[in-house]
Amino acid sequence: MIESFRNILAIPELRKRLMFTFGLLAVYRIGCNIPTPGIDPQALVEFMAAMQNTLLGFVNTFTGGSLKRVAVFALGIMPYITSSIILQLLTVVWPYLEKLSKEGELGRRKITQYTRYLTMGISLVQSAGISLWLEKTTTPGGAALVPHPGWGFRVITMLTLTTGCAFVMWLGEQITERGVGNGISLIIFAGIVVGLPGAIVNTIGGLQSGTTSVLKMLILIVFMFAVVAFIVYMERAQRRIPVQYAKRVVGRRIYGGQNTYLPLRVNTGGVIPVIFASSVVMIPTTIAGMFQNEWLRNIADAISWGQPIYYVLYASAIIFFSYFYVSIIFNPADTAENLRKYGGFIPGIRSGRRTAEYIDRVLTRLTLIGAVYLAAVSILPEFLLSGMKVEGLPFFGPTLDAVLPAWFTQGMGINFYFGGTSLLIVVGVAMDTVQQVESQLVMRNYEGFMKRGRIRGRRG
Amino acid sequence: MAPGSSSVRHRLELWNGGLDLHDLGDYRRRMAEIDRLEPRLKRLDDNTLRQFSQRLASQAREGTSLDEIVEEAAALVREAAWRILGQRPFGVQVLAGLAMHDGRLVEMATGEGKTLAAVLPAYLGGLFGRGVHVLTFNDYLAHRDAEWMGPIYRFLGLSAGWVGEGMSRRERQEAYGCDVTYVTAKEAGFDLLRSHLASEPEDIVHRPFHLAIVDEADSILIDEARVPLVIAGVLGSPEETPYGLAELVERLDPEEHFAIDEYSRNIELTAIGIDRVEGVLDCGNLLAAENLALLTGINCALHAKVLLRRDVDYIVRDGRIQLVDELTGRVVEDRHWPDGLQAALEAKEGLKLRPEGRVLSSITLQHFIRLYPKLAGMTATASPAAEEVRRTYGIDVVVIPQNRPSIRVDHPDVIFTHRLAKHRALVEEIGRIHATGRPILVGTASVKESEELAALLRQSGIETQILNARNDEMEAAIIAEAGALGAVTISTNMAGRGTDIRLGGADERTREDVVVLGGLYVIGTNRHESLRIDQQLRGRAGRQGDPGSSRFFISLEDDLIVRYGVRNLIPPKLLPQEQDEPLDNPVIRREIARAQRIVEGQNIETRKTLCGYSSVLEEQRKIVQQRREDLLSSRGPGRLAELSPGRFEELSSTVGQEVLAEAERWIMLFQFDRFWSEHLATMAEIREGIHLRRVSGQDPFAEYVLLAADAFSDMESQVEEEAVRTFEAVTITEEGLDLDKEGLKGPSSTWTYLINDDPFRDQLSMALGGNVAFAAGAALPFTTGPLLILWGLYKRYFRDRSRKD
Repeated sequence: MIESFRNILAIPELRKRLMFTFGLLAVYRIGCNIPTPGIDPQALVEFMAAMQNTLLGFVNTFTGGSLKRVAVFALGIMPYITSSIILQLLTVVWPYLEKLSKEGELGRRKITQYTRYLTMGISLVQSAGISLWLEKTTTPGGAALVPHPGWGFRVITMLTLTTGCAFVMWLGEQITERGVGNGISLIIFAGIVVGLPGAIVNTIGGLQSGTTSVLKMLILIVFMFAVVAFIVYMERAQRRIPVQYAKRVVGRRIYGGQNTYLPLRVNTGGVIPVIFASSVVMIPTTIAGMFQNEWLRNIADAISWGQPIYYVLYASAIIFFSYFYVSIIFNPADTAENLRKYGGFIPGIRSGRRTAEYIDRVLTRLTLIGAVYLAAVSILPEFLLSGMKVEGLPFFGPTLDAVLPAWFTQGMGINFYFGGTSLLIVVGVAMDTVQQVESQLVMRNYEGFMKRGRIRGRRG
Repeated sequence: MAPGSSSVRHRLELWNGGLDLHDLGDYRRRMAEIDRLEPRLKRLDDNTLRQFSQRLASQAREGTSLDEIVEEAAALVREAAWRILGQRPFGVQVLAGLAMHDGRLVEMATGEGKTLAAVLPAYLGGLFGRGVHVLTFNDYLAHRDAEWMGPIYRFLGLSAGWVGEGMSRRERQEAYGCDVTYVTAKEAGFDLLRSHLASEPEDIVHRPFHLAIVDEADSILIDEARVPLVIAGVLGSPEETPYGLAELVERLDPEEHFAIDEYSRNIELTAIGIDRVEGVLDCGNLLAAENLALLTGINCALHAKVLLRRDVDYIVRDGRIQLVDELTGRVVEDRHWPDGLQAALEAKEGLKLRPEGRVLSSITLQHFIRLYPKLAGMTATASPAAEEVRRTYGIDVVVIPQNRPSIRVDHPDVIFTHRLAKHRALVEEIGRIHATGRPILVGTASVKESEELAALLRQSGIETQILNARNDEMEAAIIAEAGALGAVTISTNMAGRGTDIRLGGADERTREDVVVLGGLYVIGTNRHESLRIDQQLRGRAGRQGDPGSSRFFISLEDDLIVRYGVRNLIPPKLLPQEQDEPLDNPVIRREIARAQRIVEGQNIETRKTLCGYSSVLEEQRKIVQQRREDLLSSRGPGRLAELSPGRFEELSSTVGQEVLAEAERWIMLFQFDRFWSEHLATMAEIREGIHLRRVSGQDPFAEYVLLAADAFSDMESQVEEEAVRTFEAVTITEEGLDLDKEGLKGPSSTWTYLINDDPFRDQLSMALGGNVAFAAGAALPFTTGPLLILWGLYKRYFRDRSRKD
């Protein structure tokens, strides 16, 4: 491990890239702590403390806490990502974009351009929404978050946040280009892991003060490792459909053939289905938080954290969105067409429609496994913390509650610092980055060539 | 730089990281010093000059910095050129020489005398006695320039030689042993590859590389850079199947059994075609893994039958297939189509099949040229490629001012809606100008087009010279006459490079007449993929202050325009119906220029990608070469003594140390070559399918690098394993090892081919976008609204899909 680090640092180019990456991430972190003007900081802290488990709290995870502070980077990289997803989805349904995306570099650049414009648009709308919402919002104690509301405040907020977003987008692209790994992913990554040291300190503090038992602590650690290992395993899992090219004669080969395949990942959609699902499941809670309505409040309570209905809804939503998203980003017909165009085929299967059907069939089965895995990883941390509150179920709820052990109904109170989504992102990004660094290491240091047993990247 | 706005813009460009291509540094100051030395040298006799040169040489070898003697050397070369050739190099030629000595790529307009300009840096480099290669564009030019400039070097006490195709090893060794060697980059590269197979140190013809001066540098450094030079060896007698398959595909129906994708030049069997083949051959499922070789054979046979046209893509001569280079229209020696395609073509033409080959080693021109520690170059069109040259080769471009400013008039393009109108206008324009007797040079994009145009012109009674000469020398002769009174010459863009077009041609007396008519008129019938090639064509006219003009005729149906979808860039309302009159619309003109820039940008990207991939293999090749060289020069007990100590002990007592070392060397070399070749095949295969990795969001290149590393270390262990196995199995007597009997003889015969594939443009992968899709995760919290919209879109999408099915 230390040897690897030394190797990395021994190569000037790689060292420069690493420094560049860390430097820009530091810039990003600084921006996450500079507050936007016009907000009463005291009131903000009080208010956010009250908003823990809503959509807002969830979003906060992805902006590295900068939303909580309404920092200049409060929007983070999200508008950009939203806009890329929207364009990605639009490419499927809007013939103009579809054509553009098939026009090579030129069209691709155009799409990137649109993505950026849309990002700015989304930023403006979101920052307008945020400024209006901030003006209206009061702390539980009744203090206004914005002491001097009005157009001045709104315009300044919109300008600040939108510029901040553009800047973060630029940072991300710079890292991708001149640093290590994918800048956009790393910025999200940085936002998530930045809270880790604090969490560790807290846990140790809890241990010292006796609120956390040593046993619990050990279970937590073991479990953490197990889950991470499981995620690594599943993220790398892929079905390799062999592909052959019948275009050139490759002499009389002794070995070969095993490196050409179509890798279908078990979890094709990555973390996106979870996000889709979370946002849908959290809608009622969030809406209920905004309106003081008895009826809404009841519904929200029934599907809030820890409730059986919540788990069921959440898991099914994840499974549903897994299929939804895969069907959008992966078109077996296109894949088959692409294979055919370069003279490739799957042994034994006719090219064109048959190949597409075959890929579709494999993918459908794979996605089921992937979806169940996603659901499990997403739900487990919450289950460990709060258990499943079966007592609220009609008819036999109380009975069940009495029968089932307390760890099941009340949770173990184990607070996984990382939620399921964060964990997926952190592990994924880390694996990708490692793979990239490794490849650069190999390229620049051919002595490294002889070494075996490297760390493998996510999809290796 | 001109004062006023352009100077401001120039400064702005520099400030934005642009390159200053016009900075001549202190060359002008040095120029003054060289001029000052001239009268003194004029007074010295030949012998004293030679002694002067010898003194410079010994200074250089003793470690005096060349920068201290560069002025003296330049003055000396200038004086020598004057005494030997009767030509006194112009100031700009000396400037160019100084810049090249500094390791720059100089841009000199056509006709400014590049060959002579290169003598100064070659001479300076040659003083060390470590060899300088002047890399010429073709063999003819290598020969011509060496004969032409050789006397200057010899006058100054240096030796000069040249290398061409078909020379023996001895001749090559001799030529490379000279202080200055004129050779094509291709030949020099092949010699490097041949030394890869050397089994004795004496077989190596190259000395360690020192300095290369690249002529027509943009073509070699950029356009041809990715052409892999391949050395291949005979594998065994060919199989007879290609004949059968050629017959089989003859019986297939083009309408029904196979489909052509003319665009990407692909061909494949349709479902009905597969059924038919399966029926005829009774081979079961044609697409089954065990039928891969058969299917490959059929694909090759189809490709040979339908896509390769006799006398256009290749000719048959002396019972052999010879390729026609699409770019130059020339028949190229020693170039093959890859692998099975060549055999399929031979079968199609009913020729005897050549032995099957196996790639023994390979290097791209780009990587080959990067092996020279010091590099300089010259060309007429460097500035558009300055950025790329600097990034790839680390050399700067400098534009040398012209000796006499060009007065060539470059007319704006004439644009037509369709090709027919363009051809009509071309014939009319050529007829009109030809009637005055003014010489015309027409540059076409392809051999096919040049022939079509010649036919059209013949119909209207205009006789033309088409440049499709079968060898460089004839080609040079034709192009030299293109400036003659009343000449109409049709050529593809690259033909005849390195030869000047003198107005009036060989007949000096008609020169004035041609000048009065306006000099050479260059017509381009197409914009090319790169502005440089357009400029190269224009540059044919107006050399050394001659009058001349150029004009491009293009249509919206031209390949460049169609292939890159320029039509889509033009607002539909500006796009008129087909018409015979030329279009006169600045928007269209601008869009075409933009398309060219975009295409160029894309090509740069592609070259960068491909360079990345080939760099991996190049790094490995260097390791292998180093190992081989170590083996060749080693004399004591080597690796096998460690790996198989028992056998080593036993043999060293029976046959003696020396024979044993020799045998060991043979075995190791043989296994090295064998598995390196195997490794190359493995990597080619990986390379072919690596783009599929993007489906799972992997970075194909990163993955390729890691796979290459694994394959390489596999190769190394295989070499050792097999070497030990051989070592323990063969008979080694006191006479050594019987290579033929033990089957350890390496083959040798060489050919080159161009790999034409670019699988990195697949759209699917873009849509998936790897990491971003994953990270995109964080997206939607704020987008519950858009989510509903998406839901609607998804429904529509579903509807679309079900309709499609």
